[in-house]
Amino acid sequence: MIQERNLSIPGGLTGALIGLAAELALEEITGMEVVGGLLAVIGAGFGLIRIDRRIYEATVNLVNRVPVEPTSDYRDVLEQIDEMSIELPELRESFVKLIHAGIEAQRA
Amino acid sequence: MLGLNSLFKLLRKTFAPKFEGRGFLPRRYYLYRALEALDEDDIDEAVRMITLAGLDKKKSARWRMVCQQIIFRCRVLVSVHEKQMDQINTELEIFGKTEDLRNLYLRLQEVERKARDILKNYELQLLEQLSASTASVAQPS
Repeated sequence: MIQERNLSIPGGLTGALIGLAAELALEEITGMEVVGGLLAVIGAGFGLIRIDRRIYEATVNLVNRVPVEPTSDYRDVLEQIDEMSIELPELRESFVKLIHAGIEAQRA
Repeated sequence: MLGLNSLFKLLRKTFAPKFEGRGFLPRRYYLYRALEALDEDDIDEAVRMITLAGLDKKKSARWRMVCQQIIFRCRVLVSVHEKQMDQINTELEIFGKTEDLRNLYLRLQEVERKARDILKNYELQLLEQLSASTASVAQPS
């Protein structure tokens, strides 16, 4: 037997009104948009869990997006990357690791 | 994960602009946004986000890494603009016989120069922040 649902439109509207009033009151008292802020933080959480993976992907993207002349070989590209990563020690180290991983993968 | 990412984007576009600029969202949030802007080559936004992520004195290894990624991309884009300036110069010499064409090439060159200068400014700004973070790491607590 299907259970009958009782939906009350006036009840829903009253709930929404109370919610809005509560949010406005909080905003008035604290000076901050509390609900929006909470939602932003919750939303950001979905992306934050994967931050290390995103940093790795961005490093790979950076290498992939280095413009390569049709006439240049891999040594020119390496030289170009080397020149552009001066004063960027951590990034340079990551590039070296990526290149070594690429060479190892080719050998295997 | 596609659903979660879409939800994240929707929530962010709706609510976050009011809060991002104040700098009190989690540091990882700003790093994530900086990476997203970097993917889209929106360097202005990437610099704004990494600056907000580094507002507190204690800068993490992740912050340093993302900061360096933005600097690297700035340098790549600077080199692209410089190549385009060279190309415009060459074309100006060959085709810039009439006044109209000459003005057009000069305007293009000006646009390229401005873009390059903006990127160089961003690079310097981030290098300063990066060296400050190195100094703070090197200082004994």
